[in-house]
Amino acid sequence: MNIKPVHLRKLAAIIDVKGRALFSKNFIIMPVFSLGFTFLMQIIYEKASGGMAAMNAYALAMGMLMNVSMMGFYCTAASLAEEKEKNTLRTLMTSSVNGLEFFLGSLIPIVLMTEAVNVLCVFIVHMTMSPMQWAAYLAVTTAASVIASVIGMLLGIFSKNQVTASTLTTPVVLVFMMVPMFTGFSETLQKISMFFFTGIAFDAIANISNGLPAVDVKGIAVLAAEFIFSLILFLFLYRRNGFER
Amino acid sequence: MSETYISIDHLSKKYDKDFVLKDVNAVLHKGEILGFLGPSGAGKTTTIKILTGQLLPTSGTAEVLGIDCRKIDERIYEQIGIVTDSSGVYERMTVFDNLKYFARILNVPLKNIDPLLKRIGLYEHRKKPASKLSKGQTQRLILARALLHKPKVLFLDEPTSGLDPSTALEIHRILKELRDDGMAIFLTTHNMEEAAKLCGHVALLNEGVIVEYGTPEEICLKYNRIKKYRVQLTDGTKHVLLQSPETAGRISSWMNEDQIETLHTCEPTLETVFLEVTGRELQ
Repeated sequence: MNIKPVHLRKLAAIIDVKGRALFSKNFIIMPVFSLGFTFLMQIIYEKASGGMAAMNAYALAMGMLMNVSMMGFYCTAASLAEEKEKNTLRTLMTSSVNGLEFFLGSLIPIVLMTEAVNVLCVFIVHMTMSPMQWAAYLAVTTAASVIASVIGMLLGIFSKNQVTASTLTTPVVLVFMMVPMFTGFSETLQKISMFFFTGIAFDAIANISNGLPAVDVKGIAVLAAEFIFSLILFLFLYRRNGFER
Repeated sequence: MSETYISIDHLSKKYDKDFVLKDVNAVLHKGEILGFLGPSGAGKTTTIKILTGQLLPTSGTAEVLGIDCRKIDERIYEQIGIVTDSSGVYERMTVFDNLKYFARILNVPLKNIDPLLKRIGLYEHRKKPASKLSKGQTQRLILARALLHKPKVLFLDEPTSGLDPSTALEIHRILKELRDDGMAIFLTTHNMEEAAKLCGHVALLNEGVIVEYGTPEEICLKYNRIKKYRVQLTDGTKHVLLQSPETAGRISSWMNEDQIETLHTCEPTLETVFLEVTGRELQ
């Protein structure tokens, strides 16, 4: 495959504009909602458990799941769909921006914002972590954010406007978010969750809070496999359709 | 002969079984405006899409600035500007910020933005969000964005469609200036007056086929088969006369008696030529 060069000048311009767009009313609701949801979970679990540390980790895991799903899937798909809807994507593509520059320029601000919210969630749940635990937490949640964003980009390819993006994203968000959230209620869901990157990230937070390695070899394999699979699928569809069908 | 910027050679495009462009030939030189004139669905936008690398032709060749249209990559966009009905603006951003974004992408100094806004007539709106612009102002912003990097070739797809006459005239003035500065402009329109006023050469396109090609004058004269004169005399009477020795005598005598108020030849317009050749209305 012919890999296009990435011009840092163009990439910086796209990141700047995309980053600012994340603070618009269409998108800012997602991180705000994730922070609010984490805060709510923290209060509920604190009251229910009488302040057990494990419950803080559970509240954090719920908040992280919400954040990664809403930001990664929804914001990426909706952002691409908005560019199509307003005809700015075609304008960009006919102004010397190549697909890789647009892809990276769209993903980087979303992953950065998702990670910023993931960090804030740790403080909201009052969880204390050692530098090693922080490193593990950031690594796992960044991997999850990147995978969710690539899948969001995939959904964006099929969305011609923001309404379609919303419709397509909702079932994906529900599956990737709800399955790990409800593992406590069903053994089947727990087994399925082990094959979802969101499930691996969800379990990783519990492991981190218990002082265990965040992810085992199987977990790393699942994260790597889902990243590679979503990227290959994205590249295949991009080569067939570009960003627009 | 000035430099050739676009050459189109037996270009065809087929969707499924239907040809939307068939055996199209045309040339555009530096400092010229070439008009593709035809009704909706004639293949004008398809031609622009092929020339700008957004569509591949089925057969034939086309070169833009010496680059085969099949081999066009994003580098060509640093030398061409495109204004189509699918060109968009970032509505939440101001006029200036819209241009600043593309200036950064195209490596254009930011100091070039204000003079361009003045030339396009948008300087006083530079701090206005693009969502608050009128249709004519938005079209000017799209034009400014396409001109930001001083392209060698400008592609315009129906640039004045739906605009009020004064904005359309303003855009015509800008296009003439750009042509005089040496820019080559590929213009599609269904407005024959616009084509006749602006274009050095026009191609009349019908159902994907060029039915006439040449300067507007050449085309009109070619179809000027029944030569007529329209005369208005000083007493207010109007006459339409067929060319003949008798008519020459009458006009000559009116002239000698200083009776002629106005005298016009009656060549067909591009619109009537199009109607004659295709049996279809342009609009």
